[in-house]
Amino acid sequence: MSDPILHVSRLRKSFGALTATDDVDLTLHPGEIHALIGPNGAGKSTLIKQIVGELRQDAGQIRFEGQRIDRLDAAARARLGLARSFQVSSVIADFTVLQNVVLAVQGASGASFRFLRPVLKDPALTEPALFHIRQAGLSERTDTPAAALSHGERRKLEIAMALALRPRAFLLDEPMAGMGAEGARTLVALLSDLRTEAPILLVEHDMDAVFALADRVSVLVYGRIVATGTVDEIRADPEVRRSYLGGDDA
Amino acid sequence: MSRAGTVNAALLAVLIGGAIAAHLAGELFVVTLATKAAIFALAGVGLNFALGYGGLISFGHAAFFGLGGYVTGILASHAMSGEPLTTLPYTMNGTNEMLAIWPMAMLVCGLAALAIGALSLRTSGVYFIMVTLAFAQMIYWFAVGWPRYGGEDGLSFYVRNVFPGVNSMQPLTWFAICTGLLLLALVFTATVMRARFGLALQAARRNPQRTVAVGIRPFGIRLTAFVLSAMITGLAGSLYADLNRFVSPAMLNWHMSGEIMVFVILGGVGRLTGPVAGAMLFVAMEHLLGGVSEYWPALLGLVLLGIVLFAPGGIVGILTGGRRRV
Repeated sequence: MSDPILHVSRLRKSFGALTATDDVDLTLHPGEIHALIGPNGAGKSTLIKQIVGELRQDAGQIRFEGQRIDRLDAAARARLGLARSFQVSSVIADFTVLQNVVLAVQGASGASFRFLRPVLKDPALTEPALFHIRQAGLSERTDTPAAALSHGERRKLEIAMALALRPRAFLLDEPMAGMGAEGARTLVALLSDLRTEAPILLVEHDMDAVFALADRVSVLVYGRIVATGTVDEIRADPEVRRSYLGGDDA
Repeated sequence: MSRAGTVNAALLAVLIGGAIAAHLAGELFVVTLATKAAIFALAGVGLNFALGYGGLISFGHAAFFGLGGYVTGILASHAMSGEPLTTLPYTMNGTNEMLAIWPMAMLVCGLAALAIGALSLRTSGVYFIMVTLAFAQMIYWFAVGWPRYGGEDGLSFYVRNVFPGVNSMQPLTWFAICTGLLLLALVFTATVMRARFGLALQAARRNPQRTVAVGIRPFGIRLTAFVLSAMITGLAGSLYADLNRFVSPAMLNWHMSGEIMVFVILGGVGRLTGPVAGAMLFVAMEHLLGGVSEYWPALLGLVLLGIVLFAPGGIVGILTGGRRRV
């Protein structure tokens, strides 16, 4: 297999006596969707926070395209192309769709200290933004305030913002959460296309989505990765069935 | 013109039209009141830059208002006495030229804000409010305890500083100078808030986590906004000193911070001309009700309460009738 884009090795994080991340090794390779599943409280969010830079690990390394990023702050990691979405949709509610995506293009450009030119009259910002809005299927909502979007549209907006970062990897935290069946189907198709842009580390509870999308699955239980493999391997793994899939025929 | 644009133009027309009408009617005191409103509005525009657009609830903007005032008073008093400000490392004299005083006042306020902001912006919420208040009170007590420039009694300088080509003592001329600066500050704010910097600043107010996730660090953006905000309020302080030809520690007191905040909240937080509306209402109430009872601030308190509870968009919010848009 090719060199991983994202390489987490021997990562540890404790909160007092609780070990939330226990020697985690994880790789994300070009072109793949790697799903991270596990029961509530398994430490998925803690792991994601360390990868994006919101939390500092106690030990271990995170490499991104061969470079160590575990000492960089979250903004610097984002500018390297580590694009994330949040468990609860996180957009700027009183910005329009276009303004939200322009903000992301601006963030990726690294130049926010410009004081004169209106952003909405700067094609260097608006053209890429409009392109990514179209990619995410939100063209009709370009000038709608984000607060007025439906839940599913807000998910799409987050994806447009992630695309605007010219991502080298996506970290999507439960993108299916709260989606209806119809919305979930659209989103699965969108995510499936997204992998051609950059590989995806997908944290997800929705097993249908995971089994439909993932090339590889890692199972996190009590801060440890108990299994990594293809969808079929994970389905067949006795330990996974016992600890997570609940023993019944998943 | 958009509805917000109409409201902005109407508010400025009331201020400017009122001053011109008062001048024609020979009511020079009213011209001076309008000038005071313009200066307070400018101080509010400065605070609104940080508070309204950046969400930085500074309860210490009197520090910049007062510093701007003291820079003006100190330079003017030295110009009057002919005594140099300092002889080390080289001789520096006072000046009575507004065009020299303003940049100096803004520079001093900008540097003070850089230091205060660098420390206080590491906190947020109520701690930020308290830290900015504490810094402002430190400067206040310093001014009270520094006899060289009047201490508690303040510092008078008798003659208004000069502006090239015009007589700044003539009330309408002085009003025009102050209002010209207010208009410049409004244009500056509107421009910056539409540009990249303003987008990042407003994004960081609404959703800092998301802002970081697109690769923008809020700290530098906020610190810059705090410095620019302080410079605008400091310029207003300089004008206020020239209006009264007097500065005193009262300009640095936390009451003043509160008053500047009242201009912004009355008029509409984060609305471009909110501070203009707020300052006009404040000065009008102070003049009309202050003559009736010294307890007029109680009524102001009621108005403020009503605005906060029922019209969080302030006067401008009521007039535009719409939600605030970026």
